Amino acid sequence: MQCPESLRVQGYFDAELDALSAADIERHMESCADCRALYQELQQLRTAMREELPPVHAPPELRARIARALDQESLGHGAAETAPPWPPRRSRNWRTGSFWMGAISGLGTAAVAAALGFVLLTPLRTAPLVDELLNAHVDSLLSTHLVDVVSTDRHTVKPWFAGQTDVSPVVADFEPQGYKLVGGRVDYLEHQRAAVVVYRHGAHVINVFSWSATPRSIAGKVTRNGYHLMFWRIGDLQYCAVSDTGWDELASLTQLLQGLQ
Amino acid sequence: MDDRRRRFEAQVLPHLDAAYRFARWLARSPDDAQDLVQEAMLRAYRGFDALRGSDVKAWLFTIVRNCHWTALKQQRRRAQVPLPEEHDTLDAQALISPALGPHEESIRRDEALTLQRLIERLPEEYREVLILRELEDMDYRSIAAVTQVPLGTVMSRLARARLALKKHWLGQLEAESRAVP
Repeated sequence: MQCPESLRVQGYFDAELDALSAADIERHMESCADCRALYQELQQLRTAMREELPPVHAPPELRARIARALDQESLGHGAAETAPPWPPRRSRNWRTGSFWMGAISGLGTAAVAAALGFVLLTPLRTAPLVDELLNAHVDSLLSTHLVDVVSTDRHTVKPWFAGQTDVSPVVADFEPQGYKLVGGRVDYLEHQRAAVVVYRHGAHVINVFSWSATPRSIAGKVTRNGYHLMFWRIGDLQYCAVSDTGWDELASLTQLLQGLQ
Repeated sequence: MDDRRRRFEAQVLPHLDAAYRFARWLARSPDDAQDLVQEAMLRAYRGFDALRGSDVKAWLFTIVRNCHWTALKQQRRRAQVPLPEEHDTLDAQALISPALGPHEESIRRDEALTLQRLIERLPEEYREVLILRELEDMDYRSIAAVTQVPLGTVMSRLARARLALKKHWLGQLEAESRAVP
């Protein structure tokens, strides 16, 4: 069994963490032998790959071939083809979510949805949404931005949302049932400020996103990259719980949350 | 030489070595890699006006990779095999097939496996993130852009690729050091 922090140790090793998270992981590694070993193995592997693999250079004849091809191109065709700008300029520019959306936009949406195993009512609009949710979830795990307001008290978290977002989601602590309320956060989702309620279940983080529902509600389950996403709707609020826990654990929390309504 | 060509040679051609190195991991032979890079450079030149300042290397690599997949589709030499996707339970052992590849028939299983051969045996989508990270020193967002998958997928593939290599390669090293009296 791997330490749940192993992805962040990898992120630290790859210099992808911000300073606060990096300090956090350094502290963690002091007390976690597994993660110290992992870090050492990552270093060994990198050293080996960078030092033992034979260096590869483009052969001179390739340079010559390319120069000839470019000469021909300049002479023959003159005008350049019009290509779409790269990277694609969309709402989040160089962010991967939009890049992915761009990458699949040319394909049949139904086919994409089928290939990704969606069991949702509205695959047409959920494909980018799932990416948005997943990226938001992963970002929250990698950065120190897991919570904006730290509190195990729902009476603190719920009013805090009122000043930060347009929605007022269900907030409750279920520590006796194993779902400890950690705090709240605001993420941009579906072009609005979504409220995120953060729970801890054992070593796992569960992000419960909520935002103003559109006329077409989303319900159902999706698994992507090992993460589970469970969608439901209450009134005019759309919810989605995201985690790498098992389905049963996620379902228990969503039932607790739905039972409060 | 016109201005556009000069700008292309100044901005893109310095990445030729890296592009060829990447292509060698994608293509099956040095000749195929040369064809691939030539085609990619030509396309890059045609689409050069679409490049807006940003990461030239990642842009070029995206084109190399797209050319590679286009060529593969056209050739249809390989039977379609479903790629293993990420699962909840990580089975790093299963990532590297114990069976020897077609080029390795003469190599007996008890011979030392080099790091290179282990990497070659990784499934392509795991190998490419590993190569881009370790050999080309790209950050996660550039890798996500080149391979056209979300950031989370880059991280999980990278973790799985490293785990699989660790098990096989470090295991190999330990076995060797034990064998030395």
